[in-house]
Amino acid sequence: MKRLLCSLRRGLRVVLLGGLAVLAASCGAAAPGGPPLAIGVESQYADVLSQIGGPYVTVRAILTNPNTNPHSFEASPAVAREVSQSSLVVMNGLGYDAWVERILAAAPNPRRRVIDVRRLLRLPSDTLNPHLWYDPRTMPAVAEAAAQALTALDPAHAQYFQANARRFTASLAPWAAAIAAFRKDYGSTPVAVTEPVANALLEAAGCRILTPLALQVALMNGTDPAPQDVAAERSLLRGRKVKVLLYNQQVTGPLTISFLQLAREQRIPVVGVYETMPSGYHYQSWMLAEINALRAAVAHGASSRTLGVEPAR
Amino acid sequence: MSVLLSVPGFLANEPVRVALAVGGGAALVCAVVGCATVMRRQSFAGHALADVSSAGGSAAYLLGVNPLFGFLGMAAAAAGVMEWADIREARERDLLTGVVLGAGLGLAALLLYFDATVRSVSGAAVTVLFGSMFTIPASIVPLALAVAAVALAASAIVHRPLLVSSLSADLARAQGIRVRAVALTHALALALAVSLSAMTVGAILSTALLIGPAAAALRLAKRPASAVVFAALIGLGATWGGIVLAYESFYWTPGHGWPVSFFIVALIFCAYLIAGWRAGRAGVRRAPHPSGCEGT
Repeated sequence: MKRLLCSLRRGLRVVLLGGLAVLAASCGAAAPGGPPLAIGVESQYADVLSQIGGPYVTVRAILTNPNTNPHSFEASPAVAREVSQSSLVVMNGLGYDAWVERILAAAPNPRRRVIDVRRLLRLPSDTLNPHLWYDPRTMPAVAEAAAQALTALDPAHAQYFQANARRFTASLAPWAAAIAAFRKDYGSTPVAVTEPVANALLEAAGCRILTPLALQVALMNGTDPAPQDVAAERSLLRGRKVKVLLYNQQVTGPLTISFLQLAREQRIPVVGVYETMPSGYHYQSWMLAEINALRAAVAHGASSRTLGVEPAR
Repeated sequence: MSVLLSVPGFLANEPVRVALAVGGGAALVCAVVGCATVMRRQSFAGHALADVSSAGGSAAYLLGVNPLFGFLGMAAAAAGVMEWADIREARERDLLTGVVLGAGLGLAALLLYFDATVRSVSGAAVTVLFGSMFTIPASIVPLALAVAAVALAASAIVHRPLLVSSLSADLARAQGIRVRAVALTHALALALAVSLSAMTVGAILSTALLIGPAAAALRLAKRPASAVVFAALIGLGATWGGIVLAYESFYWTPGHGWPVSFFIVALIFCAYLIAGWRAGRAGVRRAPHPSGCEGT
């Protein structure tokens, strides 16, 4: 109940902020000479945009609340207005933020550049797992594409953007090192998951994901899971065939709760992973925290349902 | 292809066992309560209760409590209100029922929105409205079976006076039957039946389990007692058959089971068609009269 009230208050604040944004926009945000407006639909993409564009771009994120389910987001008129006025949009694609395409189609702008991360990575459009940002190969490509797009909008700062993109990619080295170290020490660790949120990271770390993919997709999309798959997940936990259970910290349901309970009974550590970047983090520190949480679970049996917020800013 | 080859796996499967228990209880209660509901011409009220109960199911996810409590609380409250209003005129009663139904579903729409945006419950809408039997936690089974037992006991206690007062309220009063108390007991049993059915096939489809087997049975049976037995057999057959088919469907489209609610409702529909065809051949067209007289 307390959480509900908090969320309602937060919702109210969002509505007020949204209203202010509309007011600001209608009072001439498109002021010539001001920095261009860039939208990172998911806050992790917005974070990368900020790191590349620095003071020469105004960055807004839309999906920012780690306590709600991005799959069930509905765009408000204020969001639609902001997106339609932007000069650069970074979106995930794969249906994760399909509503952005509709807004963009309704407000065409020949100057606007849109980076669809799925297309950028040349992934097939029927890729099942939309959580692309957990793949270590994703953000360097996004940073480069963002630098190019910002250069096209503001050629005077081309060198600044390119240097920032290089610096960003270099700053991912600790994460890459942590992944490599995990792979070396705990390669082919068997794990169970609820949704395919962090699968790309788990695969990069050499983990074997034993949960049936159909169950992961059913839980992600909120459709009826097959009883065979539910039983398979239970037997993974009951038989202690996995070293850790990773679950989507932002989305829970009766079935997820029953898996968490079973894991606790069997003393299998659980790790809560986030779909949306938690506040207090940058992309780099967030990803490092996730792999460190996985390592703590596998090495010491430590559960971490939430990431402790470390001051990154 | 692999039909029944996997029987040991089927019965060893925990979600299947939970579904068999909860679905079986729901089918039995719906058969008994459903026959009385059809004979009292309260099918629409039963449907309205189910729709209103969806608001309770949605609220349960928001509050993080057992969804059965949500369905039960809302259905019982709505049943109480509708009995309390006690409107005799059929047109007025239909209007009130329809308006309450709309308000209940509207409230469910709001609560489901909060479920998704505030609590981030995945799939609450599908589970509440269309059922998701294989996600029912095993811890619900004792409560569901207790609710079923209470509903069956209540129906058994009032079944005789209910038959009389369905036939004629004046006759019932002359016999010293407390008509309002009997009607209220039946309405509460109806609320319990609808809640169990909502857990099984979802709030929207719950009328199918309540009315379908009873309607099919009343086409076949000549007496109310045998109608209840037929309805129980049809309801159990459809529910358990639906669970078997949903389990088997996993092997039809590799890796994806079909929704169990679809199979249950489809089987009930088939049973109704077959019952109509058989009744037509036997020359029995009308449902048996509450008095137990044979139809012609």
